[in-house]
Amino acid sequence: MPVIDLKNVNVTYRVLMNKSSSLKELFKDALKGKARVVDYVALQDISFSVDAGEVVAILGRNGAGKSTLLKVLAGVLPPTRGTSKVNGKIAPMIELGAGFHAEMTGSENVLFYSALMGRDVKHVKERTPAIGEWAGVADHMDFPLRTFSSGMVARLAFATATDEKAEVLLVDEVLSVGDADFQEKSKARMHELISSGAAVVLVSHDMSAVRELATRAVWLEAGHVKMIGNTDEVVASYEAH
Amino acid sequence: MKYAQLIRLLVNRELTLRYKRSVIGIGWTLLNPILTSAVLWYVFSFVFASKLPSGQQFAPYLMAGILLNTFFNQSLMQSAESIASNGGVLTKIYVPPQIFAISSALAGLANFFIGLLPLALVCWVSGQSLALTLPLVIVVGVALALLTAGLGLAISIMFIRFDDTRNIVNVLLLILMYLTPIFYPVGIMNQTMQNIIHWNPLTSYLDIFRWAFSNNATPTLFSWVYMSCWSIFALLLGTYVFKKYWPRTVAML
Repeated sequence: MPVIDLKNVNVTYRVLMNKSSSLKELFKDALKGKARVVDYVALQDISFSVDAGEVVAILGRNGAGKSTLLKVLAGVLPPTRGTSKVNGKIAPMIELGAGFHAEMTGSENVLFYSALMGRDVKHVKERTPAIGEWAGVADHMDFPLRTFSSGMVARLAFATATDEKAEVLLVDEVLSVGDADFQEKSKARMHELISSGAAVVLVSHDMSAVRELATRAVWLEAGHVKMIGNTDEVVASYEAH
Repeated sequence: MKYAQLIRLLVNRELTLRYKRSVIGIGWTLLNPILTSAVLWYVFSFVFASKLPSGQQFAPYLMAGILLNTFFNQSLMQSAESIASNGGVLTKIYVPPQIFAISSALAGLANFFIGLLPLALVCWVSGQSLALTLPLVIVVGVALALLTAGLGLAISIMFIRFDDTRNIVNVLLLILMYLTPIFYPVGIMNQTMQNIIHWNPLTSYLDIFRWAFSNNATPTLFSWVYMSCWSIFALLLGTYVFKKYWPRTVAML
């Protein structure tokens, strides 16, 4: 049974076609009869599955529907039609540090971020020093996050997200975190997670990373699948396009 | 419950974060209502104190009003804001967003309960004893938490979609504040105004709170029914609006 299974996923939503996002404008436009809603098709008939230990890369230009697809996979956005089945715990590695708060300490942020991912707080508390150690910020863990450099924040977030095994990894452009040393370390950990049987969906514009990691690739264009298959072939056509 | 740990962390964060960078920290939660009440008491006690029905004291009357109003305003804005400002996370990790609104309301409730200590002190100073109905304050607090969580959920969607909602809500809250008998006795108003104040839901919450705490008001059966109806209505409204509009909002974020 595949870990991730998408069947005919469609996402459509209505957008207001007015110039500013203010209630005042909306009211004015409504009075003049100018307020228009259009249906925007973000994803159209997407079907693919990912097995354990497989890495599927999602390629596509900005606006092709990559982030919408990640939202569907994360379970945040229900598809308008079709079904999206994800079996197992998800570790989202998208925009690392999104759940962090500048005024809280490193340790508090680790705890909070983990709780958001549905992990057991007690267990994470024991792991916190090790997480800080691995991220190379061990002596900063008791200081507020605003004293961290952006690299340190990203490292801490990566360390937290990958600290526990997950069945599903959603990765969005986070392989270029930190300095060369840390990049090696994080790559090693990614391989470790993949070989332990995680199903990975990877969004990246870095074609060398895609070639290195992905076993299959999906090329999205304007919300639908343009091409799906072997990484080398899809990447080659995508680059030629 | 699966998300109990997260709620605890969120409530904790909200309680400590507000005053994190100040010297006395969480002490402000105690000091804030005292200082606000002191200022308003100085300004208004000459005018309004003698207009209260006999047996009611102005100082606890005023402070109870301020405590309840602060609770309502702050947790309403916070629960709406908490979802808007955590949009970044909520589009990436699946957590029921309602948890953020509930946690803000619970943090407001905790602040409200802390504020009861200085209120008890003010009662004692002004020669009023606490009422035996004191435990009923918990009922009012919970009812108000439900009200703010529900309304906060409904407003949060607007906060995300329309930038000027915050300003509009702030003005509405100000109007609502003046329509609530926080620092004036209802008796000084003309009949039309008294009717409006009567139908303002916050008046019912406030009457019950003042009565339960130190027998400083006279709520009726209507107050109880009206309060319960509003709390339930707000919760249903918030849940409905949120369920309906959240998926679209997530898609746009």
